[in-house]
Amino acid sequence: MELANIFKYLYQSLANSGLPQVWVDIIALVAAGLIVFGVLAVIALFLVWWERKVSAHIQQRFGPMRTGWHGVLQTIADAIKLIQKEDITPTNVDRPVFYWAPIIAFVAAFLAYIAIPFGKGLIVSDLNIGILFIIAITTFTIISLLMAGWGSNNKYALLGGMRSAAQVVSYEVPMVVSILPIILFAGTLSMVEIVEAQAKIYQWFIFRVPFGPIAFIIYIIAGTAETNRTPFDLPEAEQELVAGFNVEYSGMKFAMFFLAEFVNMFTVCAIATTLFLGGWQGPFLPSWVWFLGKTLVLVFLLMWFRWTYPRLRVDQLMEFSWKFLVPLSFANLIIAGFMKHSKWFNW
Amino acid sequence: MTASKALRTEEFLVNMGPHHPSTHGVCRFLLTMDGEVVIKAVPYIGYLHRALEKICENRTYPQCLPVLDRFEYCTSMSCEYAFCLAVEKLAGIQAPERAEYLRIIMVELNRIASHLIWFGTTALDLGAITPFLYGFREREDILDLFEMTCGQRLTYNYIRIGGVSRDIPSQFIPKAKEFIDKFPSKIDDYVKLLNENPIWVVRNRNVGILPPELALSYGVSGPVLRGSGVKFDLRKDDPYSIYDRFEFDIPTGKYGDCYDRYLVRMAEMLQSTRIVKQALEQLPEGDIKAKVSPQFKPPKGEVYSRIENSRGEMGIYIQSPGDSKKPLRVKMRGGSYNHLQVMPEIVKGGKIADLVAVMASMDIIMPEVDR
Amino acid sequence: MDHTELTKYILEKFPGKIELLDTGKAEPFFKISADFLLDFCRSIHSDEKLFIDFLCNIGAVDTGKKFEVVYSVASVKNHIRFDFKLEQEYEGAEIDSIQEIWAGANWHEREVWELYGINIRNHGNLTRFLLPDDWNQGFPMRKNWDAPDFVRMPEQ
Repeated sequence: MELANIFKYLYQSLANSGLPQVWVDIIALVAAGLIVFGVLAVIALFLVWWERKVSAHIQQRFGPMRTGWHGVLQTIADAIKLIQKEDITPTNVDRPVFYWAPIIAFVAAFLAYIAIPFGKGLIVSDLNIGILFIIAITTFTIISLLMAGWGSNNKYALLGGMRSAAQVVSYEVPMVVSILPIILFAGTLSMVEIVEAQAKIYQWFIFRVPFGPIAFIIYIIAGTAETNRTPFDLPEAEQELVAGFNVEYSGMKFAMFFLAEFVNMFTVCAIATTLFLGGWQGPFLPSWVWFLGKTLVLVFLLMWFRWTYPRLRVDQLMEFSWKFLVPLSFANLIIAGFMKHSKWFNW
Repeated sequence: MTASKALRTEEFLVNMGPHHPSTHGVCRFLLTMDGEVVIKAVPYIGYLHRALEKICENRTYPQCLPVLDRFEYCTSMSCEYAFCLAVEKLAGIQAPERAEYLRIIMVELNRIASHLIWFGTTALDLGAITPFLYGFREREDILDLFEMTCGQRLTYNYIRIGGVSRDIPSQFIPKAKEFIDKFPSKIDDYVKLLNENPIWVVRNRNVGILPPELALSYGVSGPVLRGSGVKFDLRKDDPYSIYDRFEFDIPTGKYGDCYDRYLVRMAEMLQSTRIVKQALEQLPEGDIKAKVSPQFKPPKGEVYSRIENSRGEMGIYIQSPGDSKKPLRVKMRGGSYNHLQVMPEIVKGGKIADLVAVMASMDIIMPEVDR
Repeated sequence: MDHTELTKYILEKFPGKIELLDTGKAEPFFKISADFLLDFCRSIHSDEKLFIDFLCNIGAVDTGKKFEVVYSVASVKNHIRFDFKLEQEYEGAEIDSIQEIWAGANWHEREVWELYGINIRNHGNLTRFLLPDDWNQGFPMRKNWDAPDFVRMPEQ
């Protein structure tokens, strides 16, 4: 069942109802935004629950079991609890910065989904610079972390903010460079066209040896670092910086950071799915099911990392990026360029 | 504005603790930091000071034992054991053979339990959360054995002056054997999870190097000293009780870094299982307690008695006035007290994350420091 | 070296300055005078046959008449252990710091100073650490000290 047809039908009936075209477009865009927002909010809530279940089963526990079937309603209960909490603003914080940081984190996390295709035809806006837009937008999260670290007027938070800035600047480079071979071969920046370039399973970029798998691994590592998850969760390293940048946040502001973190994780995996795993492409099932399934497998991979690995130290983190990932990704780009130029492999 | 003015940096102070997740209780470090680098670390203690020594002065000897349980609550058995050995030396009491074996079984099981806590919290401090749960899963089995024997899971009050409080129940030996048989395979799991893990290795190798000279001058003992390459274990080198009847090895490290301390403790758990296994096989029948009156008055004298605890040398100094059933002075010496002293020396110049790693590998526990 | 040999060796090494006590039950127990402390520690630390490289414990005792400070030392290399103590009057109790020999004495001495009020010469860092920083209620480990809400059990 393709959802795109339903949306097309709804749009058509709206256009035929006699409203001016401007209003039709505005209503359609607002509706699309709300739908994406709603879907992502549900996904984020689901991911929180799923993470808790995955961690619990890795650690031979059950995790939440009381609220609903196997605790599926647990995160909703938690969210309601967090909304009800008093919104504490510590005395000496930089108020505007402190206030806006979670909002920016929240908004930036959702903005990327403008250009991510959820399924065949299921995209808010097929920008012709889609991947560029996504990379630019996801970097906004860092600004919010820096703001949170600085605005909290807390030394742990400041250290966390600085760590996150340094970390993301370092890992942005290999991440972008690892994407470049894909753009090179797809010949486009548009997310939809990149997906369409991987119509057959052997055309998926992850299977285009040698550059594909290398790029995929670099992307997943850098993506883990971008989302501040173990083994790269230094900005909020609980055992060193207590909670890093969000140490002073409570209630709804904390919830916004928390949800943004999970949405970011989903974003990284959704981009990886689109770029490497053929996006929505797949037989029999509707396209959005394929997209969700592939993305959730990657999300599970990130969770698996988190509950298995210890954390790196801050200088080792930098070394790993600049001395290993960056050279490797550039070498990979050169190999890919050579292959493209010599037309050895023509999928 | 000149360039040097524009790039003015300054050191700042961070209060790490007393309520910090990785200080294992209520230790507080005042850190002078230059960015991420620790320039100076000054430990502040005393947040858990319960005046146990003063309390002991106002109690009879058997009444002191529950207080000793609180001295170092991860290895309560060892604390009781150290105190009982000291009092027995003072008064010339000889515990029955069976009691000696039971004590050693309990103390060694308690050492494994304590090391499992260390294993879990160390991994937790370095960001790996799952081993914590694994370590506590195995510790649970040991605590079940203790609960079966004396009804308590943390503060046992099991080892008494002149023996132990009660005999083990009939299911104890099969259950303990079952645990001893399966435990090495669990250790293998931990080893697979962490030993070769590159992140674990870079976080621990060459971090917090403690040279043997520095260690000895600061009175560092136990696994930390052995991690620095000094082969010294009181169970072998100054054997007390019946430890000379058992066969076990003393694992030592080479470089004195966090990784060596980690390996030493992991190996020690296996050696403890060996001791328990032998003790269970040799366990004789007989009495479990010598006749000691609750009102007994040891002769005038003083004694310092030390045992090998999971965190180093645990010593109890007792002075008896001779005409009283209360001690004149009980001084408790725990390994962590000296380990915490040496920490500022070895974390200097490292990152804040190294401080956490060093603290975890030292296995500092605050009740032992503050008493 | 067993206990009798050790006792003999130490008594012969420091003739007249050291006294063997009969109160020690497990290991040899000596008594020295307070002004001999530093010299004694230096020589047992550097002596080839003793090589006392490990300071186990320093404990102060209030006997009701005077203070005693008990040092428990050991040799990791030679597997020797013994104790020695020195006595101090209540008034003006003061001992030398032995940090130059065993750096780990630092906190032990600080504790003696803080809880008993025995002054430590050349310590360098005599600040409160077990008690609150603004503590002004005397020295709690002394026998004549009672906390304000402390009820002493009657002797039976």
